[in-house]
Amino acid sequence: MKIGPLNIPIKEDFSLKSILDFERTPINMLLAVSVLAMLAMLLLGVGNYLIHSHHAYNVTREHPWGLMIAVYIFFVVSSTGFCIVGSLGDVFGFKDFTMISKRAIFGSIVTIMAGFTVIAFEIGHPVTMLIYNVLTPGLTSAIWWMGTLYGLYLTFMIIEFYFLLNNDMKKAKIFGLTGLLVGLAAHSNLGSVFGFLNARTISQGVYYPTYFILTAFITGIFLSFIVMGFRYKLNFDDKTKKLLEGLAKIQGLLISILIFFMTWKLLTDMYGGMPNRAEVAHHIIHSTPFYAEVILAMIIPLLVILKDFGKSPVLMFWASLSGMVGIFFMRYNLVHDTQVKPLQMMKTNEYQLPPEWIEYFPSATEIMISLGGLGLCIALYYVGTKAFDLDESH
Amino acid sequence: MARYGMALDYKNCINCKACEVACKEENGVELGAEKHRIWVGGNNPDGQWPLLDIASAAFMPSQCQHCEDAPCQEVCPTNATYYDENHVVRVDSDKCILCSYCMNACPYDARYVDDRTMTVDKCTFCSDTRLARGETTTACQNTCPTKVRTFGDLDDPNSEISELLRTRDHFSLKAHLGTNPKLFYLT
Repeated sequence: MKIGPLNIPIKEDFSLKSILDFERTPINMLLAVSVLAMLAMLLLGVGNYLIHSHHAYNVTREHPWGLMIAVYIFFVVSSTGFCIVGSLGDVFGFKDFTMISKRAIFGSIVTIMAGFTVIAFEIGHPVTMLIYNVLTPGLTSAIWWMGTLYGLYLTFMIIEFYFLLNNDMKKAKIFGLTGLLVGLAAHSNLGSVFGFLNARTISQGVYYPTYFILTAFITGIFLSFIVMGFRYKLNFDDKTKKLLEGLAKIQGLLISILIFFMTWKLLTDMYGGMPNRAEVAHHIIHSTPFYAEVILAMIIPLLVILKDFGKSPVLMFWASLSGMVGIFFMRYNLVHDTQVKPLQMMKTNEYQLPPEWIEYFPSATEIMISLGGLGLCIALYYVGTKAFDLDESH
Repeated sequence: MARYGMALDYKNCINCKACEVACKEENGVELGAEKHRIWVGGNNPDGQWPLLDIASAAFMPSQCQHCEDAPCQEVCPTNATYYDENHVVRVDSDKCILCSYCMNACPYDARYVDDRTMTVDKCTFCSDTRLARGETTTACQNTCPTKVRTFGDLDDPNSEISELLRTRDHFSLKAHLGTNPKLFYLT
């Protein structure tokens, strides 16, 4: 270890050469090429956005939030999830989970940075946002609280990571706990962005602010399996197996609770045929992305866990990949389903022609920037593994 | 200082759309179906030809309701949406960050993106144009051939709109949402 700027311990051999130096297996090469392609897409997408502004997106008056909002949520949920998993060891003192703390906290930093990158190109005027968020704060706005708290959260996560790298566990615990609380508040506020939409009865209410915390924890565990799987190339030692078995058992419980939550949410939405809400709920359960969410994020991982109560970490790695695809659909569905029902202002003759459901499919630019965010996230994480020692310190 | 509102005798509407044209012309609203501050809504008559229920068909002119408790104002993260001195819900385009939260929060689908400023725009009761010139009517009201719209100060007991609201039954759209709209539909 060498000491870098600001007293940050950096790996001795960290250089551009070390970044390019990886085992040239077919999977690694495929991953490297994919990440480079996604980064190129980010540049292309951003270039197209800078030329055509929001016209490059398929968002409309009736469907103003599109794929990039969903992807932003996907990344910040991942970040909060990583933060929760990281906190199990270094904040709450569960010894079995300490070995993943540093890696999870670093993961929380890179995922939220990817999220901020995507949202910067979704918000029409991000610089104006930075100025007027401070000068004229909208304190009744869930977006103001969410954005401000996430900014603070990122700061605390970076400080916590700094102390973890320096093995100062006491300070790491203080900043970790503060960061966790701020992150949970931020994340809950993100749920309330939807929960406060009185005009959209399918989303309005207490459900999303609480559900977001639950799904963040689930996402964090999926991601933990993925990062540990890559770290150990699926050859886990006994200590890691113990960690992953513990996480898998927690995951089994969390997914069961999620299924319970979702079932009752949909049943209460449909019960009594309440206008706007019931028909949207019926529409949701007849849509393909809903089944992608349920099968990939819930049923497959839960069956794998129930098979032997989480004792198959390799299988769980693959189930977690499926889970993350399902979590993406979960976020996409949340955003789309909130807006799918027209607001019924009788604009039937001119502006709201049949069909009665609002349709949306992301544009190539939206897809490119979103995939670019994923590429950026993986690239930053990879550079981090080369620069920092993310394993447990002894 | 006034508290402007509008009463709509909507059963008089003949769907000529002169109000939409006048609004676009007066306020420089962009062309295109998505870019509208006001609109004439309508539904088709119930029943099957020839047994149509003619009475069930109605035209419903509408726009921003200039709610007393506007959801679009509450959700704005930078206070770009604000109530001006006349209680008109306005957007300060310098502060708007185009997060589109107001577009999702508005129950009346009354907001859209102005492509020239890339900020959210909406009905202003002609505050920047006719009211700024000292006139006392909005473009949509002024042009209406069947006098559907009556615009005025709700705080002035002698105003025409106050008189109408005192003497005619009226309702508001989506009143159950607690937005307290200042657009009143006369029955």
